[in-house]
Formats: sequence, C-alpha cells, structure tokens
Amino acid sequence: MGKIAIKVTVNGKKYDLEIDPRLRLIDLLRDELRLTGTKEGCGEGECGACTVLLNGAPVNSCLVMAFQADGKKVLTIEGLGSEEKMHPIQEEFLKQGAVQCGYCTPGMVLSAYSLLKKNPQPAREEIKKYLAGNLCRCTGYDKIIKAVESASQKGVSRDD
Amino acid sequence: MTNVVGKSPIKVDGREKVRGRVQFPADLYKNGALYGGLKRIPVPCADILSIDTSEAEKVPGVKAVLTAADIPGLNAQGVLFTDMPVISSKKVRSVNDIVALVAAENEDSLQEALGKIKIEYRETTGVFDPIEAMNPDSPLVHSDRESNILYHVKIAKGDVESAFEKSAVIIEDTYKTPTVEHAFLQPEAALAYLDERGHVVIHTATQYPHWDRAEIARSLNLPLHKVRVVTTAVGGAFGGREDMTLQVRLCLLALKTGRPVKMVLDREESFHIHCKRHAMTMRYKTGADKSGRLTAVEAEIIGDTGAYASWAPNVLRKAAVHATGPYRVPNVKVESYAVYTNNPFAGAMRGFGAAQPPVAYEAQMDRIAEELGMDPLEIRAINCFQEGDVTATGQMLHASVGLTECLDKASERAQEIFKEKEKDISPFKKRGQGIACTFYGLGYGNGFPDTSSAVVEVHEDGTATVLTGATDVGQGSNTVFAQIAAEELGLKVDDVTVISADTDVTPDAGTTAATRQTYNSGNAVRIAARKAKKILFKQAIKELNVNTDMGLEAKDGYVYVKTFPQKRISHSELAAKAYLAGLRPVGEGNFIAHSTQLDENGQGAPYWPYAFGVQVVEVVVNTLTGQVEVENVVAAHDVGKAINKTAVEGQIAGGIAQGLGFALTEEVELKSGKIKNPFFSRYLIPTMADMPDIEPIIVEEPEPSGPYGAKGVGEPAMLPTAPAVLNAIYDAIGVRIKELPATPEKILRALAKKDSAK
Repeated sequence: MGKIAIKVTVNGKKYDLEIDPRLRLIDLLRDELRLTGTKEGCGEGECGACTVLLNGAPVNSCLVMAFQADGKKVLTIEGLGSEEKMHPIQEEFLKQGAVQCGYCTPGMVLSAYSLLKKNPQPAREEIKKYLAGNLCRCTGYDKIIKAVESASQKGVSRDD
Repeated sequence: MTNVVGKSPIKVDGREKVRGRVQFPADLYKNGALYGGLKRIPVPCADILSIDTSEAEKVPGVKAVLTAADIPGLNAQGVLFTDMPVISSKKVRSVNDIVALVAAENEDSLQEALGKIKIEYRETTGVFDPIEAMNPDSPLVHSDRESNILYHVKIAKGDVESAFEKSAVIIEDTYKTPTVEHAFLQPEAALAYLDERGHVVIHTATQYPHWDRAEIARSLNLPLHKVRVVTTAVGGAFGGREDMTLQVRLCLLALKTGRPVKMVLDREESFHIHCKRHAMTMRYKTGADKSGRLTAVEAEIIGDTGAYASWAPNVLRKAAVHATGPYRVPNVKVESYAVYTNNPFAGAMRGFGAAQPPVAYEAQMDRIAEELGMDPLEIRAINCFQEGDVTATGQMLHASVGLTECLDKASERAQEIFKEKEKDISPFKKRGQGIACTFYGLGYGNGFPDTSSAVVEVHEDGTATVLTGATDVGQGSNTVFAQIAAEELGLKVDDVTVISADTDVTPDAGTTAATRQTYNSGNAVRIAARKAKKILFKQAIKELNVNTDMGLEAKDGYVYVKTFPQKRISHSELAAKAYLAGLRPVGEGNFIAHSTQLDENGQGAPYWPYAFGVQVVEVVVNTLTGQVEVENVVAAHDVGKAINKTAVEGQIAGGIAQGLGFALTEEVELKSGKIKNPFFSRYLIPTMADMPDIEPIIVEEPEPSGPYGAKGVGEPAMLPTAPAVLNAIYDAIGVRIKELPATPEKILRALAKKDSAK
C-alpha cells in the first residue's frame, strides 16, 4: 500500500513523516515515534488510556487515523512538564496517591489537564463527569478526584 | 514508634508512572522482533480432525507456524493440575483453547497466516451449566475423568438438624453470582527472546514470575536456570495474571525461530485468554434463636470452573471456609463443589471464593433481623467474631480481631453522614441504607508452603537495596518493602532501592495474591534487613566502644546507643568502616505463613491471619428506571497495621469500585460457552461518574505475627460492598435481588412482581 506524507507537531517537535494510511494515531505515536506513554486499553474509545490532546482537545488516539493529525499539534504525556520539573497535575497525582498500576495515568492526567485548561475551578461533579471517559480499575477514582481538586485549588492551569 | 512505617511516602515507582515512562510489556521494542499471534477455532467444544499449516507457512514473512507437535516438553499447563494444553491438538474444550501459534515479520503477514491455517473439526456436545454438569449422564469435559466434579469439600460442626428444630427463625434461599472479568486496563503482552547465553528470556506482566518460569521450563524441556522471567510494570492484575496465557507460547515461538517475538493482545483476545471469577450458586439455610443469635448454617456452594481447573479447589475451599461469615455459628454444614463445564475457565480473582458467599450470608442476616424485628446493626453486633471465638472450621481466633471496632466506627460515621436525609425523595426515588460485615483469611492456606524470601544489602555509603521476587502489581508492595527496610535500617525511603520480580536476580517470594505480600514478604524483608543490620552492628560495637549490640538502634541515618543517644555514628560512616573491616552487611529473610490442612470434616486452621471489614452504604433507587445510584460508602477495615496509609485507602476505594461493579453491572454474558460481551463497550466497569463519596476508616488491631502488626487489605476491601448495596436496595424499595448483577431490568422485574403480589 502506498504511503502518504504528513506534517505533524508532537510535543513541540515538528515531524515530516511518510506513513501507512491505515496507521492510527496511537500507532504513529507508539510504534513510529516511540512515545509509549500513550497506552492502548480497549481499541474502541471506551477506556481513555490512549487520550492525547489534538490541537488542544482530548481525543482517543485509537479512534483517530494518523493522517488526521496532518498539520496539527499533538500533546502526549511525554510533553507535559519539563525534564527538570513535572507538571503540577502530575505532582498532585503523586502526592494524593492517585497512581496505582499507572496504565490509565497518562490518559487520566491529560484529561485532567484539558479540564483545568477549560475550567480552572471545576466542581467535584464536573470533574467526575469530565473524566468519566477515562477508566481506572485500581484506584476507585477517589484519589484521582482529590488530585484534580487539589491541582485546581493551586491554580495550576495558569502556570503553563 | 515507627519512623517511616505508618507514613505515606510517595510511591517508589510513582514518578515514572505519572510521566508515562514506566514500561509495560507492550512498550518494549527489540530490533528484529517478530509479531506473534494465536489461532483459535470459533466454537468452544469440538474434536479436531486435522490441522493443515502448509498454506500459512507459504505466506511471505512467516517464520513459524507451530502446533502441539512442536512442543519439546509437556504440552500442558496449570497451577494445580496440568489440565490445559499449551496448544490443543485433539480436542477443544473452551473458547480459551489455542490450536496454533504464528510468528511473522509484520502484522499483515501474521494476520494472513492465521487466516490460512486450515482446521477441520467436528463440534461436540458441551455442557455449560455446572449443576447439569454434576449429573452422571452429562458429557465429560475431560474424558479421562470419571466425573465433572473436580473438587468437593465438606465442613461439618455440631448438629444442624436439631439446631434448626430449636431455632426461632429459619431463612432458606438460593443466591447466584455471575462470571466476572478482571478488566485490568493493560491487556496481555510480552516480549520473548534468546539472550547471548542462549537462555530463554521473557518480559511480561505477571503475578508470579517464579511460577511462570517453572511452567515455561517444563514445556520447553529446559532447566530452570536457563529460563528468565522479567516482570515489567503490571497494568493491574486482580488474579487474572496467575495462570499461563502468553508465557509458554511466546517462549516457544522465540525458541523455534531464534528471533525475538513480541505479542500484544487486544481487549477481545484478553477477555478470552485469562481466567474469570467463578460463577456460584449458593443455597443457604440459616437459623437463629429469638434473641437473634445464630444457631446453624447449612450451605451448598457450586462453582463453575469452566474447562480448566486453575485454582478451583482452593477457591471453592476458601468459599466454604468463609461461608458462615464472620459470625459465631455453633452448628455448621457446608458442602462446596468445583465443577468443570465448557465455559471459559475460572480461576483467581480478588476475593478468591470469599467474595461470593457474603452476597448470600449478609442477605440472610438482614432477613433474620427483619423477621425478629431487630436492627441489622444489632444482629451483627451480637453475632460477630471476638478475640477468642472459634470459627466454623474450629479455628481459634487468638488475636487481631478488629471486627467490633469496624462495626462501631463504620456505623457511627454512617450515622453522622447519613442522618436526617429524606427516604422518599420523590414518588419514584427512594433512598436506602445497607450494611455488610466480612472476613478474609490471608494466604494460600490449608497447610500449603506459603513462603516468601528477600535479600537486603547495605552498601558502603549506607544506602540499601532490597531484592524480592514479589511482583508489584500497582498496589505498592515495592514502596511498602522500601518503607520496611528503611524503618529497620534507620534510613529514608529514598535511600532504598527495591528490585523485584526478576527470576535471574531475585529470590522466590510467592505470588502477589491472597493478600499475602505485605504480610509474607513484608516479614521476609524485615527479617533480611535485621540480619544486615546485625552485621553493621558488629562494626558499631567497635566504633561506639560498647560491649554488646543490644542497646543499639538505627534511626534517622544514625546508629546510636539508646540509653546514651549522644553516642552515635552516621549510617554512612559506619557502613564504610564495616566494608573496610571486611564485613558485608547482607541479610536473607525467609517467612512461612502458618496454616493447617482441613480434616475430613473440614476442621482445622486453614488460614492465618484474618482481616475484617464493615461497609455501610447509602443508595438511591429510581423505581421508574430501575437504576441504582450509590451515594455514600463508609468503609472500616481492620488491616492490623497500615504500613502505608495512602496505599491502604487506595486499596479500600479500589475494592469498593470493583464491589460496585460486581453488585450492579458486571457480568460476562455466556451463550453456549461463548463470550457475548468481550468489549469495554458491553462489559461495564464503574466510571468516575458512578462513584459514591467514600470514607475509609482504618482500624488497626495488631497481628502479632505481622510486620509491625500488619495483615493486609487488597482483597478484603471489596468483600462487603456488593452485599451492602443489595441490602440497601431492599431498604429503599423492599425488593431483594438474589442474583447479581442488580441491573435495572432485574430491579424493575422484581418491583413488578412485588406489585402484582399485593
């Protein structure tokens, strides 16, 4: 099958790529760019483990074709925070004990980041509704909610 | 007073997890790796007539198409009985069966080859209902056995017949729980290859690498030291990563091709490859005198183990031992069975047979209380285990029975939170409360050698490394071990590195299951750290010029004389001096949990210690839609001692979420042995939006044999949730759901039946 050319910016870095048109965005990120922080949990957009931001909006990267990212900006977990300092949402996830196995964590953190960008002071019910697309089987979500509340109280969304 | 134990340091692997840097098996890439795949047939029950791989082998890029004939060693796997073929050749017994393996240069070749394997088979009559399967005329799932009944255990104490005759109230009913899926977020994946020595190496997510190594070696006909199992980060386990799934098969592909081979399953394949929670049918008869004291319990429990045994005898034994609940019952008769069917195989899942009986015994408790006009809290308070009580198996509970404290604290807190709320919110929205008490015996039990080993090495700068075979499946065992080693050595958690679950490097610590790692491996790490410290203290005797190490203590980075704390030496200086003197502070620890085998009447001390839990829940039921919203859960758990409070709270909340799924939505729908809903869009686990407010209460009734008094909490956390929810639904709308999950359809049907009975 013929390859197609796309230009995509991932975590601030520009890529000119020749890709198989059947490639999903998650495959591009993981297999081609080796950004393996993006996880696959279900392949049908139910679990949210593959959440990335596409031009600032959260998407399930298992449901987006790689060519659909042509000309767009992608943010993955590897692009959040810096080498020296984690993003405050990540700090709060650690402090509150919101991480157990860690498989849902990258997607969960990015969804939380997206929420706080949109609404820096969400009510508890808004957090629960917004993050309902990110499944977690370990934590019972309780500490995740607390981490997002705590990050929100610290006003982290304006830091970056 | 402890320094590090009892605190909540940040998870030792938290930073890399929250940055997405930690590696799960699918995140490993190796140059030249082939793509591995598994071939099934589309029916659960068949005789295989022929397998033709010739067309598949011709597909460009295909490097191997393997069948049963290619297995150098034993073509069978299984934790208790080797009853599951690695590759099925003559018979297919369930949708779990694999008939061929393929390795290819790319995904396209792999898929084409899998499609070109020609299998001729004849469908055979299967049996899909365990009660039917117990009938002697039923088709045999394993033709070499005389019956489909794999296991039967009896517990008999006192005289139930005469006790029922004298009882003021008797409640008799049957309860059912369905087949349930672990639904860990990370589907099975692995990377296998031959290393530079020619040893077979596999990186995978498993609960017990040393066991995997034994199974791989047996089927590949290799000595144990030439097989290495490296545990990657594990994306949730809950019992679903104890049996062989990819391990033997992928290693076989690597051995035969001489190339690295990687396999990553999708969610649908994941549903088909690992075990499930045993569906159980539980017939109960419970009696009490007029004051509400239990007089007798008779129970029959039948568990569907599907086509393969996995842990079925141990699961159904645990069900039997826990069948009477955490209550004093003088007369007991329990019969528990594990039965083969052609359904997907069942095995370990959080609770391990102790999760299903509470659905029955806690409903029975409420119903007895209602008959006697008693409060559900009161009937539990007068029957619940106290220190010194004797269980249904005759076991003396000589210590660490924090159940009454759990009951008191949970009910008091629930009173505060729940008080003065409207019961009738609207004509169709009704609020209700429910309570449930449970217990859980830790460990493999029944006299099985339940051993953990660990090694602690103190380096010349005073920092330390812990080696343990125990897998951290996300619950945080590596952090707990770092805390324990740091506590013993007087270090900070950051001064300790934990290396875990690599068979080439770490000693066998048993499986991360049965809520046993904090207790078992925690003890082993503590013993190992103390031995290493003892060696350091030899040097400290010289440095501090004391006559014995008895008065020495290691704390806050120093070793000092307890009675004269000014006399001290820093840990790093001491370690350096010890090394110069030729000492090597390395300690090895070994801990075996105590239990005895049950005798022919089911009497004995099958587990130790026991953890206890009480949860009180508040629900709102919509009588128009049948939907249940769980608003609040107060959860009090006696964990002995919380080594890490945040981790314990995390286990409690996680257990509640799984308990809510068990209560309300989760069921693997089976039709003639096939899974109808192997997707997250049709197998519904709780989302964040479904979660109630959770109030965890940690009760610490110390266990003398536990590290710092610790028992455990992993499995116990989920046990009371489902029965408490069912009791709350009854309290809200007056209908009792006796078959899980309590879906809106079942609730509406029960309401309609109640209305028509009026």
